[in-house]
Amino acid sequence: MVPLSDREVSPEIIADCRAGDRDAIRVLYDTYKDRVYSVALYFFHGDESVAADVTQQVFLKLITSIGQFKGDAAFSTWLYRLVVNACQDMARRRKSAAWTTERSRLEEFPMRGSQEDDYARAEDARSVRDAVSELPPKLRMAVLLRYFDDLSYEQMAEVLHCSMGTVASRLSRGHKRLADRLKSLIGAKG
Amino acid sequence: MFGRHIRHQVAGLLDGELPLAERKRIEDHLAVCGLCRAEREQVRAGMSMLKHLPPAQAPDTIWNAIEAAWPERQQRSGAWFRQGFRPWFLAYAALVMVAAAGIAYWTRVHHHERQWEVVKIQVSAGGDKEPIRKVAGVGPGDWIETDAASSARIRVGQIGSVDVGPNARLRVVATSPLEHRLTLERGEIHAKISAPPKLFFVETASATAEDLGCEYSLKTDVQGLGVLQVTLGWVSFQWKGIESLVPAGASCRTRPHAGPGVPYFDDAPEELRNALENLSGERSFDTILRVARVRDTLTLWHLLARAGVSDRVRIYDRMAALTPVPADVSREKVLELDAKTLTRWKEALAWTW
Amino acid sequence: MLRLGIANLVVAMLACAEGFTFVIGSPVASQQFQFKAATFVFRTEGCGDAGTAQVSATAEGVLKGERQSVVLKVMPGSKPGVYAVFQSWPAEGQWIVNLKGTCGNAHAGAIVPMGPKGFIRESAKFFPHPATESEVETALKPLITGAKK
Repeated sequence: MVPLSDREVSPEIIADCRAGDRDAIRVLYDTYKDRVYSVALYFFHGDESVAADVTQQVFLKLITSIGQFKGDAAFSTWLYRLVVNACQDMARRRKSAAWTTERSRLEEFPMRGSQEDDYARAEDARSVRDAVSELPPKLRMAVLLRYFDDLSYEQMAEVLHCSMGTVASRLSRGHKRLADRLKSLIGAKG
Repeated sequence: MFGRHIRHQVAGLLDGELPLAERKRIEDHLAVCGLCRAEREQVRAGMSMLKHLPPAQAPDTIWNAIEAAWPERQQRSGAWFRQGFRPWFLAYAALVMVAAAGIAYWTRVHHHERQWEVVKIQVSAGGDKEPIRKVAGVGPGDWIETDAASSARIRVGQIGSVDVGPNARLRVVATSPLEHRLTLERGEIHAKISAPPKLFFVETASATAEDLGCEYSLKTDVQGLGVLQVTLGWVSFQWKGIESLVPAGASCRTRPHAGPGVPYFDDAPEELRNALENLSGERSFDTILRVARVRDTLTLWHLLARAGVSDRVRIYDRMAALTPVPADVSREKVLELDAKTLTRWKEALAWTW
Repeated sequence: MLRLGIANLVVAMLACAEGFTFVIGSPVASQQFQFKAATFVFRTEGCGDAGTAQVSATAEGVLKGERQSVVLKVMPGSKPGVYAVFQSWPAEGQWIVNLKGTCGNAHAGAIVPMGPKGFIRESAKFFPHPATESEVETALKPLITGAKK
């Protein structure tokens, strides 16, 4: 797993958010924005614009409904339920059109390091991203939630409204499909 | 003897999420079932592949959009927003104040969710650039203008940046994932773009530069008289069906009502560059043909389509003398300006550019 | 009949062996946007099946008086036989890129000197064999001498 942030928000921050404290909401946003954005980005095949829209919708929904968060579940569970709902809403609206369009060039640009390393990294990232994009939506979401936020199976079961056994099954099937799809990459890496 | 296969529980085992009793049962099964062991290795391999997926950083413009759409409510700390004010209005007021100080400003026409970031840079009296800690988002329809003492840097989505020089004026036309486009009304920009073709465009009054993944400078005046100079990669410079391919180390002038001119390498003989300035001149053509080097077939190839038939023959003959003509490029087809033939020849010539 | 077949095969092999060489160019020659930042691109010529040629590259140079060698990763392009070389040697010092290739029994070599503005096309040298140590040192000398001036 690659945790994007080791931070979690304190109960005091959440309480301030529920009271409408703008600065507290900004702290909340900064804590989770990259994780939410990453899940949305790779769920929608690297489409930055859609990922930005989804992220915006998630946090606007959070702002308007955080008063309803009672604290009886982990905050991240509640937040990721918003993420899953927002992704499902967006997917319904888009009818999967993004798959056929030019997708994100994120990993196609040199970022840091030597250019040949960047090129190799970009190629690997693109292969994995494409493989993730080919997963059925339920498997794709499970894989991304687990990878980017390290949610427990119990949390994922709450977020996805299913049993822990179903979570395990989706993750098993999803990762197996990735391995099938990325055989050549796995072979090359040894 | 083997019990039920456990393939759908493998991830739970590898993630350490199974209760102890369940985990023991599965491990006992794996000890005797090769099929499930193979399954486990596949799932493990799939998990390891995810490390190649880079975490993404949410662009700063998302927060700007959230603030702009913030539902009105009582705030405990209302440092930025008060009832009755809209975020964009405050931003505009700030812009007016900034403009009065003689620093680069922009006009906000519409609020847009998909925005480019603009960082203003002010040149101090000492000549050292100091970034002003003010970042704003600009979207389609917005103008950016710099005065004599300032410049700006625009971050174009995730694909690169455009540095805007002093006394420049440009408008953002599109900021979507399928197209980033701006119109340069006057002044000079320096673009550094990493993107596939047909994603980033800069329009001037006389030509449009289509980025093919590169770094370049583009200067123009309001009439459209300008020059494009490419330092990395290559640019397609287009206008009404006229196209000039400008690779790194080359430049191309553009003229009002005439579009992009003939590109030339910056190290081409001065006589050649001067002759291109005045192509209609009597001796210009002769000069170009006489002094052209192998590399200047860039210029000659572009001249083919712009020359009359008799001159085209001379150009072809000169090019053939400078570098071998590929076997699949016939003289006849070249003189007829057959598109496929010309393209094949260009692809071969590009190895000498 | 068998002798004729063998003779034809030998002729074909010789044809493949003859003229195997490199052609170098600026990144625009590849027409591949991923290579726009490459130091230069090159292609193989005279190899019957361009995709089967084996190519490698090293950067040979002198940095602060010390002779150095850096193995380079050669990036294949979308067209068979076209490759890109990206700079992964130090910015300081004097360098050449040493290309080596094999196609069946044929070999090719090239030395491409590097200057402040990129590769120096006019000074590139091509061989029907991998460049020898002596040829590499000869190519480096003018770069070192030029740097000292």
